[in-house]
Amino acid sequence: MTTTDIIETRGLTKVFGSNGMAVHALRGIEMTVRRGEFVALIGPSGSGKSTLMAILGCLDSPTDGTYLLDGEPVQGLSGASLARIRNEKVGFVFQSYNLLPKANVLRNVELPLLYAGLPRKERKARAFEMLEKVGIPEKANVLPAKLSGGQRQRVAIARALANRPALLLADEPTGALDSHTGAEVLQLFADLNRQGNTVVLVTHDPKIAAMAQRRVELSDGLVVAPEERAA
Amino acid sequence: MKLSGAFRERLRSAWTEIRENIGRSVLQALGVMLGVASVLGGFSISDSMRRHSDEAWMKRGGFDKLNVQPAGALRDRTTPSALQNANLGLRNLDAVEGERASNRAVQAVSVERFGSARVRSPFADRDRQIRGIAADYLAMNGYEVEKGRAFAAEDIEKAAPVALLGAEAVSVFFPTGEAVGQVIRIGDTPVTVVGVLKEKVFRWRESDPNVFAWRNRIIALPATLVSRRMQGDAHRRVDRVVFKVPELGLMDLFSKGLTSVLMGTHRQQEDFRLDDIAARVKKRESQGQVYNLVFMLSGILSLIGGGMVNVNIQLASLKERVREVGVKMAIGASGREVFKEFMTEALLLTSLGGLVGFAIGAVFSKVITKVLEVPLWMDPLSFVWAFALALVFGFVFAIYPAWKAARLSPMEALRYE
Repeated sequence: MTTTDIIETRGLTKVFGSNGMAVHALRGIEMTVRRGEFVALIGPSGSGKSTLMAILGCLDSPTDGTYLLDGEPVQGLSGASLARIRNEKVGFVFQSYNLLPKANVLRNVELPLLYAGLPRKERKARAFEMLEKVGIPEKANVLPAKLSGGQRQRVAIARALANRPALLLADEPTGALDSHTGAEVLQLFADLNRQGNTVVLVTHDPKIAAMAQRRVELSDGLVVAPEERAA
Repeated sequence: MKLSGAFRERLRSAWTEIRENIGRSVLQALGVMLGVASVLGGFSISDSMRRHSDEAWMKRGGFDKLNVQPAGALRDRTTPSALQNANLGLRNLDAVEGERASNRAVQAVSVERFGSARVRSPFADRDRQIRGIAADYLAMNGYEVEKGRAFAAEDIEKAAPVALLGAEAVSVFFPTGEAVGQVIRIGDTPVTVVGVLKEKVFRWRESDPNVFAWRNRIIALPATLVSRRMQGDAHRRVDRVVFKVPELGLMDLFSKGLTSVLMGTHRQQEDFRLDDIAARVKKRESQGQVYNLVFMLSGILSLIGGGMVNVNIQLASLKERVREVGVKMAIGASGREVFKEFMTEALLLTSLGGLVGFAIGAVFSKVITKVLEVPLWMDPLSFVWAFALALVFGFVFAIYPAWKAARLSPMEALRYE
């Protein structure tokens, strides 16, 4: 059944600009990620991996091609529908954490639940549960500015997990961290993967990519490495 | 989704946003504050003035009066016809008939006969205006008896030789203050003072002279006494009949009905003139509206000015917040949600600014009315108006920046540096 595939793309292209100035960022991506996989998306800068990540995360729409996310076609959906899908099916983790500085940790984690329309009590309980999962429940009422980089990234991961997404998308999640903290965060991703979460990790660092079960390498807007599937 | 819950959360983040950027927020709300203050202050000052002048009118006896007076001269200067000569002019009968014709509309009726005479007391000897009165003259003109009594119906019926004196008349003719029971001579007629009227005072400002000084000069006698006994008019003609019609809406209808009744008693000769004070009231009201319009306009102008400043600040601050919007979109906020968040913030800011504007407007009105020496009166409706205007303009000017924020592309917003 195709529903075991979280990501399935066919001939995905993305063109920025138009006519003479057109830049072909993606030139026909064929890619599949199964439920429960831990995939590293690797490639040098300019290879199109950020663009691909944006499309996989429904932040952007492809110019052409089809994309099934958790069995649902997403290409050509309206902005509001994409927002709902981002809310329900995708959890983002960014290099620069992207926490809201004026909201405390608990509220940051609560936010996707708020947009999902969960009642207050349930929101609080779930947000707290996620903070426990990433190991910093004691920081619930602290502002992000008071946290270390590793702790901030844990908050970001808790936020990404809040709506129990089908796909956890991490864009250079250790890029701003020292190697020790980075390793801890990567370990957290590995643990989450073992618990059944599907993880796609975007990176330029082969060492980090080695943590994943499988690597998908991008170059010039195309997948170059054959998909060597782990058992 | 529970609407109230989502709204409460938006309100909460809006409040955080405002509190965290208090300087910017105050700047943004400045236009609203001044606009609300201007509308509220303007309305309140104009209302206070109006109420003050209403008070003067009420002291005079109110707006709701319809005067009937004899037409001064026949309009065409031809020789009056026999019929016209035979007319008796305005009489007490007109008052009675008029009141009977529409007793529901008429609350009171007063009758007056003017005259002047030599007035003598043991202390003074003057030529003075005298006034023959009947029916509800005192009440309708806002006079109150301070000492002694008013005229009884019998006094007027029998043209009794009695008099009422205003405060100034008392001080002239009886400087000792003991007037009741004393006798004064009006022309050749000895008349007993049966009552003294309370002094009437009204000043536009505390330092201004008393507008009603002349009213305290009154020397009132029964109308019958003046017309028949003093002026030898067997028909007891009067100079003015005034009907009090409390319901201003009925005034027009009543004045038409009255005309036809009076035409009947006057043998179809229009030798009387109806004077519609209500028309004056309407004019006065429309003047008040002009002031209110001016104040509202100045309020609107400052709201527009403030609104434009607001749009600029909001657009500038949006630059700082692009990333925040991007993050919110990435975790599932739709453009609509972002729009609502920005609108909530703007409306909360407008409301807070409006409250501050109330305070400024109230202080402003207090100061101005103090300078004008008019008691301050604030209509709750002015608050409603000022606030509603602020909300409308706050809403309108918030739309553009909120719309700009809502249609940011999540991808570009996230990458924005």
